[in-house]
Amino acid sequence: MSASGPHPDEVLDVRLVHPVHSGLTLEVVLRLGREIGVVFGPSGAGKTTLLRLIAGLATPDSGHVHLEGEALFDAARRIDRPLRRRRVGMIFQDDWLFPHLSVAANIRFGLKVWRRDQAEARLAEVATLCGVGALLDRRPMTLSGGERQRVGLARALAPRPRLLLCDEPVSALDLSNRHALLERLRAVQRAEAIPVLYVTHSTSEAIALGSRLFLLEHGKIVAEGAPLDVLSSAGRLATGSISFEGVRNVFAAVVESHAPEHGASRLRLDEGPELIIPFLDRPPGSRLLVAIRADEILLAQGPTAGLSARNQIPGLIERVAPHGHEAEVVVRTGGLAWIVSLVEPAVEQLELKPGAPVHLIIKARSCHVLGEGAVGS
Amino acid sequence: MSDLGPLGLSLRVASLATLLIVAAGLPVAWVLARVNFRGKALVAGILVLPLVLPPTVLGYYLLQVLGRRAPVGHWLEHTMGITIVFHWSGAVVASAVAAFPLFLLPARGAFESVDPALEDVARLLGRSEPSVFWAVTLPLAWRGLAAGVVLAFARSLGDFGATLMVAGNIPGLTQTAALAIYDAVQVNDAARAGWLTFWISLVSVLALVIVQRTLPARGLAR
Repeated sequence: MSASGPHPDEVLDVRLVHPVHSGLTLEVVLRLGREIGVVFGPSGAGKTTLLRLIAGLATPDSGHVHLEGEALFDAARRIDRPLRRRRVGMIFQDDWLFPHLSVAANIRFGLKVWRRDQAEARLAEVATLCGVGALLDRRPMTLSGGERQRVGLARALAPRPRLLLCDEPVSALDLSNRHALLERLRAVQRAEAIPVLYVTHSTSEAIALGSRLFLLEHGKIVAEGAPLDVLSSAGRLATGSISFEGVRNVFAAVVESHAPEHGASRLRLDEGPELIIPFLDRPPGSRLLVAIRADEILLAQGPTAGLSARNQIPGLIERVAPHGHEAEVVVRTGGLAWIVSLVEPAVEQLELKPGAPVHLIIKARSCHVLGEGAVGS
Repeated sequence: MSDLGPLGLSLRVASLATLLIVAAGLPVAWVLARVNFRGKALVAGILVLPLVLPPTVLGYYLLQVLGRRAPVGHWLEHTMGITIVFHWSGAVVASAVAAFPLFLLPARGAFESVDPALEDVARLLGRSEPSVFWAVTLPLAWRGLAAGVVLAFARSLGDFGATLMVAGNIPGLTQTAALAIYDAVQVNDAARAGWLTFWISLVSVLALVIVQRTLPARGLAR
């Protein structure tokens, strides 16, 4: 399913093949409208290379990059537009601000050919949009990490690029700055109505940001769609092709009700049971992803009284796969497959075999809502 | 102040030599910092040879190339009307070649210290190659370049061996301050030697002060 159907209002149309190194060849077909597309995948999947190829910072082996119907690169037609004519904006993990220029001069840098009054108006506009109006006279050296990234964003947007590329721009920021910049980016995308392609290996960023997610693995886009759908796809999780730093159970869910007096909230998993989690300040009906580590789920042969764990979910064992001293047990509850990691003696003691009924025992605290902070650990 | 004649010639020779060095050295330093080609290490090595060769050996090579019977010298004299040997322009060329590495080394380092990612950002923001150079590369490299200019000027101001070989030691024509000091000592004219030495030392120390005020702050520009 690497090829998507024609996108109704596609602006960016990429099809390229490029050998990155002997063990990795990018083979990507990607179409994007005026929305935020997230390229998500593990490190080494070729995400950054893909972005550099689209920007023109590297030259693809073959294929094409079309933007608003214009060929930026087209191997068959021997077109390779120089960087300065592409009108593609980019922000990076490092801010790459010009250290010898003030914030205002940095933002004005891409407006050299603009009429002076228009350039000043645009400077004021993007400064407000990116929240850097108070920083204009400062030097980059005197700015905090979050401020620098906002200036970098303003600078990239100033000349009205037709596409904005983001290469893990928040990975060097702390958590609160991270969320602030992601929010800022969403607001900017709405205001400017440009396609944004955002590269990350963080599930929380992918969910917080994207309206469309491209799952990149070993140089190929293996799935695309709404972030929640792609990331929660059970088959993919069971094969381990997405792993969230040790988290193997990730499910789409909707908030059903709250019990703040018990410090708890109740979720309904898609095609699955209810789940009690620590209180979550989101209105009922909100959709989200919830993650549970495979080694934080206990198994019991039947319903158990006198337990502190709030969730006891009945299911059937589908598969038991030994891995050395540990075993991976797949338990099915309705339409969902849960992965539970146990030590080998426990498997023997409980006589866990395919088809046997079990109860999943899960503490509320073991349920992590993605997009609310770091996952796992 | 006829005594200052050699000093005036030295300043003129060193200034013109510095101009020559910068004109040739800027593009060469940029290419060495930014372009990879076969034999780059060899070329870079040859270009700093004047630093390690004895000045008289350097002068000898220059005579082989620029002498009246050598092809280049012949062409310069008969087609361009420029005489190099035993002419003050010979002193300019000789001191320029001798001082060239002192500009090239810091200049190359200065260009290399400018991260190419910043230049890519400038290109993505719509700037042409010349604009990238003037607006990003040069301002970020200027401290290293300025240090190179001052070092090269100071070195060419004091050149002795190469200048003597190529331009000779003709009072009033090719006798620079360094050569005049040597002559004055030879004829026991302590006053003249001391006077010229004082001025040359003053200019050299000034140059050193400028370098020291420029170089350590380089870290500021990343």
